[in-house]
Amino acid sequence: MSLPSNIKQNLMPSEISFMTENEYIQILPRYSMKSIQLIGTKIPNLRALRREKVPLWVALILKSQGKCNIVIPDWLNLIYLKARYDEEVKFPMKFSDLPFNWIDLSKILLSKAPDDLPDPVHQLRSIIQDLREIRQVKTRKGLKEVNESNIGLSGLSLLEINELRPFMLSVMNKLREIHESVRHDDYDDEEVIDVDDDED
Amino acid sequence: MKQNYWDVSDILASSEKIPTRFNFTVPGIGHLDNQPGKAIKKDTKVELPFWLAQSLAVAPVSGDASIIMLLAPDALNNTVQNAIKSDPVSIDLHSIAPNFYILAERWCALFTDEELSETLKKLCKERAYEINNFASNTSKQINNNFILSLDEFEKKLYKRTMESNRNLRDWLNDQA
Repeated sequence: MSLPSNIKQNLMPSEISFMTENEYIQILPRYSMKSIQLIGTKIPNLRALRREKVPLWVALILKSQGKCNIVIPDWLNLIYLKARYDEEVKFPMKFSDLPFNWIDLSKILLSKAPDDLPDPVHQLRSIIQDLREIRQVKTRKGLKEVNESNIGLSGLSLLEINELRPFMLSVMNKLREIHESVRHDDYDDEEVIDVDDDED
Repeated sequence: MKQNYWDVSDILASSEKIPTRFNFTVPGIGHLDNQPGKAIKKDTKVELPFWLAQSLAVAPVSGDASIIMLLAPDALNNTVQNAIKSDPVSIDLHSIAPNFYILAERWCALFTDEELSETLKKLCKERAYEINNFASNTSKQINNNFILSLDEFEKKLYKRTMESNRNLRDWLNDQA
């Protein structure tokens, strides 16, 4: 009850980034290390120069100690991202195919493992910025089609949806209320869960 | 119509005055019309708060007639509705009624006014689009009149949208 409503109903970008650190990523260890059994996950036996999949947070620790190289996912390079950008321009009604955590993952890798990247950091950063902007413009266009019952968000990443959520929920909830106000018998009001009735 | 007991906007909206006309002469309630002790005559026009007018208008006295008849409040008269239809973005909702949407929704529910509800939906959509534009673009002229014309619900919406956008922007720029 005491939490601000924007934290209660929504995730902070830093929380999403934290969740992304639990995703698995390939690394190329430089040293050998015995496997470690942790609660909920297991770090496999690491042998020098043999690729293994570990959670991203483990990879980042090893990376910071200079004990591994991170194998950059195959979408994080200029050629692939440029192609996606062209796709965004070409199909104005569709979002191109990017991982659901592309913004946060690329931010982490760009800052923590710049020497493993195939292309210069500043170029990657600018193409990512371009992609984000063109997708934002598209999302904004899509808002014109909003209605009280459903919305299509295919292709958007978690972070992008999260940014949109407070706006979308409020507007759709209002539209639903207006819609239902003239239809007393269609719904049982008790069953509709009101996501938005808090006061700030 | 769903009502939220704890919602301040809801309470404020229900105390909004709307014009009514008495169908009967009712003795002893002159205080409603600034004439304490006297009767309110048939066909007198009196402004009553929504919560009172609503119950009086649906309570039948003799036959089908109820004590009062509801007249369209200024906030929802034809001029306003036409203004909404012609240009939803430039209309000053806050000066019409601070809780315009709730008031209008109640009206829809009372009269099952489908046309008004469609107009409202269009109004809500177009203004929401504009609100989002403003919220994601804080450098844009902040003291634009549009922001001042928002009703209470829209203000809240604007604040939420702006906070969400700022959260993400700050985080991306490593300021969070």
